[in-house]
Formats: sequence, structure tokens, C-alpha cells
Amino acid sequence: MAREAGRRSPAAAARSRAGFAFVSPAMLVMLLLVAYPLAYGMYISLFRTNLLNRWDFVGLTFFVQSLSDPGFLRSLFITALYAILVVSGHLLVGVTLAVVLASAIRLQVLFRAILILPWLFPEVVVALIFRWIFDPIFGLLNHVLETIGLISTQVAWLDDPTWAFVAVVGAAVWKGYPLVMLLALAGLQSIPRDRYEAAALDGAGRFAQFRYVSLPGLAPILGVAVILEFVWWFKHFTIVWLMTKGGPVDATNVVSIDIYRTAFQSFDFGRASAMAVIVLFICIAFAIAYRWLVPDEQA
Amino acid sequence: MTLPKTLPMLLSLGAVALVPALAPSPALAAGELVTLTVLSSTIVEGPEGKAEQGFADAFMAENPDVTIEFIGVPANELYAKTNTLAISGEMPDVFINSPEFMAQAHDLGIVADMEAVLGADYLAGFADGPLAQATVEGEYQFAPWFTIPNTLLYRRDVFEEAGIEPPTDWDEFRDVAKQLTVDIDGDGQTDRWGFAMVGSNNGSGAGRFFLVLRAHGAEELSADGDGWVTGFDAPGAVAAFQLYGDLVADGSVPPGPLQTSYGEAVSLIASDKAAMMITGPHTIGAVLDQNPDMAGKLAGALLPTLEGVTPQINLGMFGWAVSADSEHKELAARYIAFILNKDNQVAWNLATGRLPTRLDALADPRIARPELEGFIEAAEYGYQVPTARFYPDLFGVAGDNYQAVIIGQLSAEEAATDAAARTERLIDNNR
Amino acid sequence: MSKPSSAIGGAHPLFYPLLLVACAIVMVPVLWMLSTSLKNETELFRDPLLLWPEKPTLAAFRSVFQDYPFGAYIRNSLVVVICATAISLAFSTLAGYGLSRFRFGGRGAFLAFLLLSQMFPSVMLIIPYFKILKSAGLLDSRLGLIVTYVSFTIPFCTWMMYGYFRSIPTELDEAAAIDGCGAVRTFFTVILPLALPGMVATSVYAFITGWNEYLFALILTNSEEQKTLPVGIGQLIGQYRIEWNELMAASIYSTIPLMIFFLFLQRYLISSLTAGAVKN
Repeated sequence: MAREAGRRSPAAAARSRAGFAFVSPAMLVMLLLVAYPLAYGMYISLFRTNLLNRWDFVGLTFFVQSLSDPGFLRSLFITALYAILVVSGHLLVGVTLAVVLASAIRLQVLFRAILILPWLFPEVVVALIFRWIFDPIFGLLNHVLETIGLISTQVAWLDDPTWAFVAVVGAAVWKGYPLVMLLALAGLQSIPRDRYEAAALDGAGRFAQFRYVSLPGLAPILGVAVILEFVWWFKHFTIVWLMTKGGPVDATNVVSIDIYRTAFQSFDFGRASAMAVIVLFICIAFAIAYRWLVPDEQA
Repeated sequence: MTLPKTLPMLLSLGAVALVPALAPSPALAAGELVTLTVLSSTIVEGPEGKAEQGFADAFMAENPDVTIEFIGVPANELYAKTNTLAISGEMPDVFINSPEFMAQAHDLGIVADMEAVLGADYLAGFADGPLAQATVEGEYQFAPWFTIPNTLLYRRDVFEEAGIEPPTDWDEFRDVAKQLTVDIDGDGQTDRWGFAMVGSNNGSGAGRFFLVLRAHGAEELSADGDGWVTGFDAPGAVAAFQLYGDLVADGSVPPGPLQTSYGEAVSLIASDKAAMMITGPHTIGAVLDQNPDMAGKLAGALLPTLEGVTPQINLGMFGWAVSADSEHKELAARYIAFILNKDNQVAWNLATGRLPTRLDALADPRIARPELEGFIEAAEYGYQVPTARFYPDLFGVAGDNYQAVIIGQLSAEEAATDAAARTERLIDNNR
Repeated sequence: MSKPSSAIGGAHPLFYPLLLVACAIVMVPVLWMLSTSLKNETELFRDPLLLWPEKPTLAAFRSVFQDYPFGAYIRNSLVVVICATAISLAFSTLAGYGLSRFRFGGRGAFLAFLLLSQMFPSVMLIIPYFKILKSAGLLDSRLGLIVTYVSFTIPFCTWMMYGYFRSIPTELDEAAAIDGCGAVRTFFTVILPLALPGMVATSVYAFITGWNEYLFALILTNSEEQKTLPVGIGQLIGQYRIEWNELMAASIYSTIPLMIFFLFLQRYLISSLTAGAVKN
């Protein structure tokens, strides 16, 4: 993949033009609808503004204030914890189920069809169902627990900081594991079977086979998935917002909710933009760090 | 000589030239369809929505060239929505405004000159109390539509059965709430709780908390010369935060108070799961809509107060404002006047329990129904909501803190201190 | 491309219980949703709880359409998401091919930017989008939402198609060139047919993303006529009266198109993920 060094043959120039032509529709969209809003968002972060009749230049004030605001830092921590737990949950559940589905079990198609279901539910719906299940008086969870005898009074799950956090993580894991499961299944199916035979010949049991053949085989595909998943769930809004609105108090106040509130309830758009830019840099830093720690040839 | 001949021609030319000037404004020219956009929160509520749509339909029947198009938003999202529309330059012709929001609306410059639009004569037809609360810097910000004095709503039949009167001070309130938390069928499960607390972190919850605050002699925000000062750290405020914590700790509040917003609390009252609630007369209508068996069982009473504190009741007023950018201001004014005419004001009250603001409607005997007595009485103690641009931000300040007290994360003192500090920062940032 | 998918290891006896538990965890909320949607008012708030309605009724399914402009919500979601998916698919397929086959100025920057654009919190892009759509007069319109959703999905779809095209050997292009095909002919007649599974995967992703999307639709639409399904459902929670049976009925409605879409494309999705995975 050597680049042309300065001089270009007409053929290369023609290919360059062709390449450009193919890429231009997407590039145009990206420039207009991604680059410009990004730049504009960064621009707003330098002003105290309500976007209508007040534009006071404040420079980096909001950045300084946010980074020294314990509330914001706490929401960053909560978000990171949330993303880590959710992605880990996806990996654990998804890979496990993929391994099971990839084995010689019967009714594979049926099981797979059922296990993919959560992915097909819009996030709004998932948030709703779980909120209804966790309802203190009319919720299924309390009813079941009471019937079994595990609890004696009705528990307000979403009112408790710890349980509310567990609930939003749980809902997110329920919703998102199928994607990882599918990717892992695809990855497993692409591993040459003779590797497993060779390992079996060497006396490797089932678990060893998983550890030394399956996992390395899955590593490339899961690698990319982990970065994207972490970033997606770090930015996540819908499920947490509709289940707890960031509460109780600030127990599930992920950073996107914090930004949303600052922008659309306090109408402090400059501050919200600064917070968003900080999140942007965090995600970039994570991607870079991850790449450095877990290099692969994906470029 | 030619003059007499040309005179008729000149006259007719003149007449023709005058006709456009005499014709109605372009918006109402015959045959042209006009759409009037209306931003309303009541349109999405139970009995209110049907009644409001009825008004719009009647108006459209009388004015066939006009279409009323509603933008419906739940009340707790009203301010956010209005702000969003303002910023995007998409303000509707008519929108709901309120004392809590009017300072912000005024600051955004989205309110038309209501006195000019409605006329001073028309404004004189409003009751003094509501009208006085509708001004910012001497300018009217909306035409008051209804008041829903927020006071104590209670189950008259439950109180009679227990042989008690509505509480008059807060210690009594706490005792009554505990007393009325009962296990009716003896299965070990509470069937009815004493108090349906709206503990959600939004305007519904915070607004009610402010009432409890003021009933303890503290004010979340009050004018201080040209600026503002907060009473969140006054001893009365600490007591108010403490009360919220105590009520939940006593078990007098149905489980899940932090998730109980207005709608949930209404359902609790309607399904006979709570005996008291801090709210306005409109809740009676909402409850009956869900459970007609509750007819005659609900009544209003003055909120308890701390010893020596004068009652302060939030009138919960909403009104109609015309957008500064509207191209149909006259039409908007006519629509507003239509909704506010005597028949419609009375009809609105009969359907929803919300109290009228126009003098002619208030004089109608049908308004003074027994179940509304307590609310009408409470309206005498209405206070002016502080006209600070940042007032809606106080909802979150209060909400975060009373929720923290309820779940035991903060003590009442810590909550009060935090609320005061955050309010002071708001005051500073908005000087 | 992929080896024939033979099983890895035998079926361990623990697998079946594990699968059953997993399926139960999936199905319980789903069945509860169904059960709730079939209840009437009084059964909904019954104490003690009814696990399944005594008198199942489709009333909620009907009233959802009567009390709310659900037809409009569904129509808007379908129109917006199908159009956005189609456009996104077209643009990202072209771009993915261009990126994988050609060298041109700015290629590296474009690739880096594709990744970078994934990292910005979407909640913050709303305000710039306001301005853009407002200046173009596209606020509160399906076209505005289509434009918005296209901009969301193009980065990732382009990345997916890029990865996928890299797995298609360039020998095919060279062979076509020898046969006298220009770049465009090569693309459309030789490469594109091979890219179908990848395109399916991309369109599934784009469809699900768009169908799911809540926040932007919430902020960028005002009138009931233009709101999408997720916004319509989300509104039902904010109402003063929460009718859980209607909510669940609405939720079922909003999941069905995805299920249908997915059912048809299941096979292609798995095989394309496999193919993409091999060469990655």
C-alpha cells in the first residue's frame, strides 16, 4: 500500500479521481453533517449562551469549571463504571452463549432465534418493560420475590442508588448481548476446525480448547467490538433516562444525561458543549490506549 | 364640465381603493385557510384534553377558515419544549405561560405585548390576584386561564371514619399520615398509605416541596432589593427536608416515592392506596376520570403550617401568551378570548375542577361546589412566584436534595446547606 | 471464504439447562409485556398481581390507535428509517469500495475521521443540528430526520463496508480491468453482487439504529404528525396517566417490523458476519 511519492502517472491520477468519486457522497455527508456540527459544538463551548440572544465569550471557563466540578467528575466515573460493566456483561453472556450455540446442541436455530430477541426491541421499549417490572407496587419482580418469600415488604428498586444502578446495567446487558453473541458466533465459525482437532490430539480438554483455540480466534473480531461497544455505552442515554432519569439523586447520572440536563433543562449550552468535548477526548483517549495495549492489524 | 361626468368614476375608483383598507387583515381574508398553532400541556391530560379539544372544535366551527393545531407536551416538559422552540425559531402562535416560566420567556423575548394584543379593557375583566401575578417589569406576560391552588387534598370519607379532622400543623400531619396507613384486610400488607408524596425530581415534586418549605416559614427564593436571596438554609427549611425523610421512614408513604410523579400519585389516590396528597382541585377530576367511585369522597383543606407561619399557597396558574413572532396575533387574541369566555370558563371548571380567572365566571354559582370549597379558600393565600429567570433551575436543586434525604444519603442539614449553596451559585451566575 | 460451519465440541449436558435459563431470562420480560398488553384497566392494577389476564382483551391494541396518532408515528418511523437506511447503504457501499480499492488524497484523514466521529456524544450534536435543519427549513419534518439518521449511520456503515470489501480479493477487479471494464462497471457488475451479504449486515445495523433512535427525534420534531415511534412511546410515560397496557401494546407494535426485517435477513446476516470476520 505504498503511497505515490509526488509524481503521479496519469493512470494513478485517474484512479485517484475514481476513488474520490466513490467516496464523495459519504464524504460530503460527513463534512456537512458530522464535521460541521462537531466544529460548531466545539465553538459553542467557548461561550455562555442560550443560543438565542446571549453570546458571552468565556474561553475555557466551562472546561475548567467542569473538570473541577465534583458532580461532573462523579458522573464521568459512573459512566465509565456503567460502560465497563455493560460491555463486560455483553462479553460474558455473548461469548458463553456463542460457545454453547456453536457446539453440537440440537434445536440450534430455535435457541438462536429466541436469544436474539432482545436486540430487536427498541431501547425505549426495553427501558419501559424493565421499569414496569421494577415497579414497587405493581411490578413483576416484587410479586415473584414475595411469592417465593424472599422479601416481606415491597421494595422500591429504582429508588435505591445501588439497585437502580444494577437495574440499568441489567437492562442494558439484556438488550445488547445478542450483538456480541452474533459476532462471537461468526468468529467461532470462521476458526478452522483442524485447530480443534490438533488441540484434542494434544490432550486439550474442552476448556483448554476454548482458551487456546477459540479465544485467540475470536480476539480480532471481539477486539473491534469492545472499542465500539465501550464508546457506544459510554455515550448511552435512552435506557438510563427512561428508567431513572439519572436518579435517584445522581446514582445513575451518566454523563450524557448530565449533558442533556445542562443543555435542555438549564439551557446552559456552552457548558454542555464543553462537557461533551471532554467526553470526546476521553473516548479518543480510550480508543488510543486500547489500540496500544491490544494491537491488531485492523487499520 | 367634465367634472360631473368623471365624479362618479372617481368616486367608484376611490371606493375600490378603500375596500382593501376596510377589508379584514390578510390573515382573515375570506377563503384563505389559517392554521393557528397552540402549545399546550393540558391537551395531553385526562379530562382536560377532551375539554380543551372541545373548545378548539367549537372555535373552528365558528371560524371555518381557521384550523387549530395543538402541540401537546406533558407539563413537566413544557419549559424545555418552549425553550427549544424559541431557540429554533419555531414558536407557535399561542403558548402556555406561567409565573414560574414567564421571567425566562420574557428574557428570551418570545412574548408579544399582551396588553396591546388583548386590550386594557379585556384585561380589566380578570380577577386581581391572578392578573397581578402575570407581570414582569410591569408588562403582562399572559392571559391567566386557570388557577389550581395547591393545598391539602384528602379523603373525606376516610377521615370521617377515623373520626379526625384534617391536620393543621406538621406534627399532626405526620401523626395522621401514620394513623391512616392501614392494613385493611389483615393480610400483613399495607393496603392504604397515609400520604401520596410526589417525590419525583421535577417541577411536580419540587413545586409541592416548595409549599411544604414555605409552610415551615422558609422561602426557596425571595426578592432582596434588586436581587434575590435564598432561604434554603433557614431552620424551617431543615425541618421541611427532615419531614420528607421522616414521612418515608415512618412508612406512611407508598413505596417508590422517588418515582412518584403527579400521574403516579393520582393513580394512587384513585386506586384507594393513599389518603392525602398535596395538590390542586384538578386532581379531583383526574381521579374521577380513573375511578368514578371516588365521587364525593375527596375534599380540600388548608395546608398545615408551622406555628405562627402564615399559609402560602401556590396558585398553580397557567395562562395563554401570544408569541412575539406570530403572524396571527389578532386571531390568537380572539382564540384566547374564546377559551376565556364565561361559558367556557365554567365548562372548564365543571370538567376539570380548575378555577376560573375571569370575574364573570368566578361569579357563577356553579363554581362554588362543596368539593372545591377548601381550594377556593386556600386561593386567598396565594403568593407571587419569584420572577427570576433561573427559577425553573430550582426544581432540580430541591429535587436532588429531598431525594437525597429520603434515601438517607444526606441529612436534612446537609441537604439544606447544599440547596442553599447551589441556589446562591445560580443567583450569582445570573446577575 | 468460510469453512463449512461444523460444530465445535459436543453438547455438554450443562448446555441445555444453561440455554433454558438464558431463554427464560429473555422470554420472561417479553411474555410479561404481552400479558400486560392484554389486560384491561382493572386487571392492570389488581392486587395481588395477575400473571396472566383472566379476560384477555385486545382493547389496548385498539385504543393505542384511537387515543394517540399511532398510525402517524408508525408511518413516520417506517418512512424515515427505510429512506435513511437506503441512502446510508448506498453511500457507505460506494465509499467503502472507494476506500478499499483506491489511493487518493485525504484517504487516511477520512478513515481517521470515520472513527473519530463515533466518539462524540450524540446529545451534543443536537444543537448544531437544530441550526442546520432550521436554516434548511427541515425542522419537524421527516426529511430532516432522514438527513440526521443518514449522518449517524454513515460513519459506521462505511467502516463496515470498508472492512467487508477488503475481504474481497482485488484479483477480481484486476481481471475485470483486463477485460476492459472501467472502475464503475467493475464495481457494479463484478464486485457489488459479492458484497450483498455485507450490505445486508450494514442495512440491518442502519435499520435498527434508526428504528431505535429516540433523542434526536424527540428534540427535532414538534408536531404529532411528525413524531416517530420511539418518541410516541416515550411520551406515553410522561403522560399524567400511565396506561401500562397501552404502553406495552405500543411496544409490541414497534418491535414487529424489526422482527420481520430480521427474520428475512437472518441467514445473510450470519454469513456476512462470518465472511467479514475471516478477513479481519
